[in-house]
Amino acid sequence: MYKFNLCLRYLRTRYLAFVCIVSIMLGVATLIVVNSVMSGFSNKLKDRLLGTSADVTVGTEFFGGLEENPDALAQRILSSKSGQHIEAIAPSVEVVGTIQFSYRGRNIVKPVKVMGVDPAKQVKVGNFREYITGQKENPGLPTFELSAQALQRFEQQRDFHAPPRLPKAEAPSTGGDFLGSGPQPTDPVAPLPAIPLPDLPAVEAPKPIGVIVGHSLAHWQYKDPNTGLPEEIPALEIGDTIMLATLSGDEMRPVWSTYVVADYFKSEMSEYDSQFVYLPLEEIQRLRHMGNRATNMQIKLKPETPKSYQFMKQEVAVPLAKELGHPHSGTYVLTWQDTQGPLLAAIDIERGILNLLLFMIVGVAGFGILAIFTMIVSEKYRDIGILKSLGASNRGVMGIFVWYAIFLGIVGCVTGSLMGLGITHYINEIEKWITDISGQQLFDRSVYYFDKIPTNIEITTVVLVNCGAMFVAVMSSLVPAVRAARLQPIQALRFE
Amino acid sequence: MLTAKNIHKTYKRHAHSVQVLTGVDLDVAEGEFLSIVGASGSGKSTLLHILGTLDLADSGQIALDGRRIDNLGNKDREALRNKTFGYVFQFYHLLPEFSAFDNVLMPGYIANSFLGWMSSRRAWRRRAEELMERVGLTHRKHHKPREMSGGEMQRTAIARALLMQPRVLLADEPTGNLDAKNGDSIISLLHGLNRDDGVTIVMVTHNLEIASQTDRVVKLVQGQVVTETPATFHPRLMTVAG
Repeated sequence: MYKFNLCLRYLRTRYLAFVCIVSIMLGVATLIVVNSVMSGFSNKLKDRLLGTSADVTVGTEFFGGLEENPDALAQRILSSKSGQHIEAIAPSVEVVGTIQFSYRGRNIVKPVKVMGVDPAKQVKVGNFREYITGQKENPGLPTFELSAQALQRFEQQRDFHAPPRLPKAEAPSTGGDFLGSGPQPTDPVAPLPAIPLPDLPAVEAPKPIGVIVGHSLAHWQYKDPNTGLPEEIPALEIGDTIMLATLSGDEMRPVWSTYVVADYFKSEMSEYDSQFVYLPLEEIQRLRHMGNRATNMQIKLKPETPKSYQFMKQEVAVPLAKELGHPHSGTYVLTWQDTQGPLLAAIDIERGILNLLLFMIVGVAGFGILAIFTMIVSEKYRDIGILKSLGASNRGVMGIFVWYAIFLGIVGCVTGSLMGLGITHYINEIEKWITDISGQQLFDRSVYYFDKIPTNIEITTVVLVNCGAMFVAVMSSLVPAVRAARLQPIQALRFE
Repeated sequence: MLTAKNIHKTYKRHAHSVQVLTGVDLDVAEGEFLSIVGASGSGKSTLLHILGTLDLADSGQIALDGRRIDNLGNKDREALRNKTFGYVFQFYHLLPEFSAFDNVLMPGYIANSFLGWMSSRRAWRRRAEELMERVGLTHRKHHKPREMSGGEMQRTAIARALLMQPRVLLADEPTGNLDAKNGDSIISLLHGLNRDDGVTIVMVTHNLEIASQTDRVVKLVQGQVVTETPATFHPRLMTVAG
């Protein structure tokens, strides 16, 4: 009883102890905020990575693509041992290429990654429709079709650049034929009558083929010098023509064709948005002379399949690679972590290091407790002696200080957690406020294209941070507490 | 009832060692008011502390009702300090953060667990109030030690020592820091306790006048009991000590 009584009394009369509370609070709050933001970033990035890349990809070393017919290959994959985990398969062609387009009369050439996909299958293996700017809301399949607006712009541009077409000549009203009856030319210098054009069937202009271009490929970003906010200029508008060049699939030979921008692709992954150009699968197969072959098979696993790297690698990728004759067949199987792993690993490492560094704040709080408690023990030397002469046990005296630290820890942890959760919740408002006040943008939205700072509060992290802070608080109280407990009563009482 | 047999105590500090007690034998009878006198440094306080298990003797035995108490484990020793002995010190030794009333209740707090306290706190409070009344401090109940006079603090300390109804009250110069008037009232309080409640009291003092009013006076010289004077005032004692 006296333990609580005394430590509550000391808590109320020793304002120095509030320094400990504040440092624990700050440590806990910082750790929670940093972890939530890092985890938010990591999650958002993971979502985007997973959204744009399939769970597992079958690829080939050969430029000409997978040797088997995609449908037959899909069947073979499905009937293999790994087939039980697979929900959907989509063939695709992924090759490097360049695009050229003109902006204000001058040519611009950019390297791109050409993705030939079948929209009907592509939507089943990952987010595709969700990233197409103009079709996000459409309930149907994403399409490469040009909208009426795009067509209109396309035609305007074509008419503007093309030489004026001859007006259709009309047959002279007075005319006859050369040899037939009718008035013959009498005046040898008189112009010959116009020759009527043969009445051929009208030739349709070839139907333009639409492509979906990465948002950043088509837009130039810059920072407005006045407002400091990122702005965009559309360099390639919907309906504009691009020339796409890549390499033929059967031999080293450039192939090219012109296409019309039908839509933009915006996954918010700058790497993809600045490189991808989506084409209909048949079109790229035609362009590259590759028949109906594909270079990649994108595989989506069933929702109930564990998505851990270990499982995907051991249960799906490795058996599948074996089935497909890896490595001699030139066919390989990669999980999405294989391709994107380093980026995620970098975030995890960063998070680990930040945690370590920030936990030092809590460590500092621990030393604060150690110092302040040592002081209080010295100051309370006599009181400890009195308590012992009244029958207080060693354990009880130790308990006073340990409970004292526990109280400080709890108060620090609770206030720190509330503060951390509050900051995390209002982080965008706080960021805006600081930006408004300082005039310096804290979070550059153009880097990640995040419109908000993503956060993700993990309960386990919050609990771990709190446990860590409590542990530090209690551990640092132990040394002074044990010293107090070991005091001989008469030694302490003589201490006048 | 409380016996000390051949108590030796030496204080060592670095190379120096001071022999304080060199074979003290003492027997305190039940219900007795015993005073221990002696010059400064004669070891009277040390003897009192050893009797009350606050300090350990180098050799010798302390027994309570014939059972040794000097070699007890921590737990029994703590129980003994809490329940059997009551201590009154020259410098009062009250806890400065607590009111007089809480100070009186402190041994009760120590004796009880949280739940135990919650269920019995009324009885404890009543007892503490009675004691405050007994020592004449009802009006000072909620004052902190620093707001009280020396005499009041000492009376609070006595009330605290009595809370657990100890069998033996060990008083170390209880009047040492008080003026004559306050000292007298403390001594008469102790006499009353001894007489009415049958509390055994062992008091260390260098005030021979006070000592002479007690049942028995023991004089320590150079770490040994040299005289045991029975009962009443003894003129020779005055001359020897004075």
